[in-house]
Amino acid sequence: MSKLARTGKWPGILLASGILAVCLVLALALGPASLSVGRIWHLLLAGPVKGDLDNAIFWQIRMPRVLTAALVGAALAVAGVILQDLFLNPLTDPYVTGVSSGAALGATIGIVLHMTNLPWMTVLAIVGGLGTLLIVWMAARRRGRIDIFVLLLAGVTISYLASALVTVLMIKANQDMTAIIYWLMGSFSGRGWPDVRIALVTIPFMVLPLFFTREMDIMLQGEKRAMELGVEVERNKRMLLVTAGVLTALAVSVSGIIGFVGLVVPHIVRLLVGPGHRGLLPVSLLSGASLMVIADLLSRTVISPNEIPVGVVTTFVGAPLFVYLLRRGRRT
Amino acid sequence: MTPAPKSGRAVGAPRPAEGSAGAAPLVALKDVDFAYDQRPVLRRIGFTLEAGDFVGIVGPNGSGKSTLVDLIDGIHQPAAGEVLVKGLPTRQYKRRDMAREVALVPQHFDLDFDLDVREVVEMGGYCRGKDPAASGDPDQMLARLGVADLASRRFSELSGGEKQLVVLAQALMQQAPLLLLDEPASALDVSHQLRLFDLLKELNAGGLTVLCILHDLNLALHYFDKLLVLSDGEVAAFGPPDDVLRPEVVEAVYGVRAYLHRHAGRTYLTFSPRLRGERRGRVHLICGGGTGAGMMRELADAGYEVTAGVLNALDTDEETGRELGLQMAVEAPFSTVGEEAHAENLELLRAADLVVLSAVPISHGNARNVEAAREALAAGIPVWADEGVRANDFVGVVDELADAGAQFFAGEEALLAAVRGRSAPGAQASVRPDPPLDDGSVLPPGGVAT
Repeated sequence: MSKLARTGKWPGILLASGILAVCLVLALALGPASLSVGRIWHLLLAGPVKGDLDNAIFWQIRMPRVLTAALVGAALAVAGVILQDLFLNPLTDPYVTGVSSGAALGATIGIVLHMTNLPWMTVLAIVGGLGTLLIVWMAARRRGRIDIFVLLLAGVTISYLASALVTVLMIKANQDMTAIIYWLMGSFSGRGWPDVRIALVTIPFMVLPLFFTREMDIMLQGEKRAMELGVEVERNKRMLLVTAGVLTALAVSVSGIIGFVGLVVPHIVRLLVGPGHRGLLPVSLLSGASLMVIADLLSRTVISPNEIPVGVVTTFVGAPLFVYLLRRGRRT
Repeated sequence: MTPAPKSGRAVGAPRPAEGSAGAAPLVALKDVDFAYDQRPVLRRIGFTLEAGDFVGIVGPNGSGKSTLVDLIDGIHQPAAGEVLVKGLPTRQYKRRDMAREVALVPQHFDLDFDLDVREVVEMGGYCRGKDPAASGDPDQMLARLGVADLASRRFSELSGGEKQLVVLAQALMQQAPLLLLDEPASALDVSHQLRLFDLLKELNAGGLTVLCILHDLNLALHYFDKLLVLSDGEVAAFGPPDDVLRPEVVEAVYGVRAYLHRHAGRTYLTFSPRLRGERRGRVHLICGGGTGAGMMRELADAGYEVTAGVLNALDTDEETGRELGLQMAVEAPFSTVGEEAHAENLELLRAADLVVLSAVPISHGNARNVEAAREALAAGIPVWADEGVRANDFVGVVDELADAGAQFFAGEEALLAAVRGRSAPGAQASVRPDPPLDDGSVLPPGGVAT
């Protein structure tokens, strides 16, 4: 266990912020046309200017892509923290609630109907994701309480159902199959400012749980104990579930399904700063952003001009790091 | 919403009289029914707790004890009846207000996450708000319980006893006037158990009302002012421990035999596993001087109805028989068996399915008991005698008994082993017992043919 846990949340947050800053700079600087740090500074101050190639690369291509990646990574990590702690299950990730599969179904419908213009794809994905959450929610509600266990089962079941429907659609519309598969693999390729604007909607939902860290800490002891200690468990559970659902739906709607970040970032951060949410939530948010930005950087540079799917990179980067930290965590 | 004082008053400090004088009792249950889904768990529960009460809840597994505690804490709502805390139905409380009135120490408490003890304890102050002055200092609370050194340890690394104290500290951080405990002693060794109950007693002396589920009836007898006995979802008894934990009540509620002993000014219960309604036969013991005490207890535990006689009052066997509640023919201390006691003995003996003679020394004083055994043989009741009695026979009556058809067994251990191993020798509920051994003979265990 790291000493960070005992020295409060600020060292962790500052360190994670520093790492994110470095990741952002690297991601903005590197690519087919590399920019020096000085140049980045200059372009940043200059703002978008027409007719300058570097400026166009920086402001029209890299900046929105990097920001989208950062926001999606942060949103998935925060959703992962919330869901793992709500389910008291370390294998939970933002996708078990069925939200992502529902969003994928929505997006697939969009592709099949050729409604691939940006607002429509996103709207369909969000509707699909939140619609799934609603169904799962209704299934898990009994006498005014959400049964977390039923929620988990219903979520997994709905996931399979949505995936099956996606498969059917893919076969039906085989000229769109490649588009659907690419969307499902997840990517930040070609993401522009409209995507950033959607991703920015995640920010209030990432901030909201920061006001409920004490309740979230107490709920780690189980729902019953939390009630005994005075927490309105059902109300908090509803708020947290909706928050995680919206974060997941928004993230998936701009990036497709990118695995591993929501599962592993919360674990890594827990090993470093402990399970207390005052540290865990902000550090996870920053680390999720960092991991996603770096993964996206690698995905577009390693075999340039081709791209490796970013979900593959998050796994390649995250898995060894996680195993290393698990082993180190055990020893101390 | 109920008015809850926001003072930083120390735990257990006497509560100021609140609002109207002669206010409602701290807790009142009125005709409470509760069911999980369709399965009824509690029926017609009614009792009240006054501020300062120190009450234990006992009862068999599955009798509804934990559910009752959860009802008082408002975790569940009754299907019928009312659960009132300070005069208000629990359903009207917000969780935070309830946590200020009622603190609960759960039976199971585990935390998969790696939190410090201090963090765990600090969570108990949640219901008191963010102001540290109101929510109290976790370090101080740990110090009060004598475990200040645990503060920086990981909760998950603690022993069972340490965890229990930490959870108690967490509950005390709520500064509620009522503390509920669900089997707090179940994970503790005997020294930690006593420490815990002493601590609860101390907190109670400071004004804290305590309602505690426990399984150890002797701890319940010694520590609590009042006991509530739950049986099959109903209140079987509620009152001072000595009134409530009578052997009949324990037998009716738990289905085991209970015996009350007094030792050094205290009352103790001991138990034997005999189930209600089970009767295996009737054995009459002729013994004395402690030669029969072991057999008495073992036979009674095995479910036999045991009688004995004639015994002298204050003799070890007589005292054991009295503790076990046996029917006995008794003569005055140090006296020869008289006419009246002999007649009584014969009466008991004739009602028996088997007569057992222990290795008691036979003298003129008790030779009449051997005579009685011969009458049993004459009446067709088998008599088994301990081999050892021959050596202790100072008047020569045992040989006559052997001639009359008594059989011998190789000492108490042989008889008891047979009792423990299978149904005991010979004693069936018929006048002439079935052959006790597999080969059809009526040889007593380790018996010597005569």
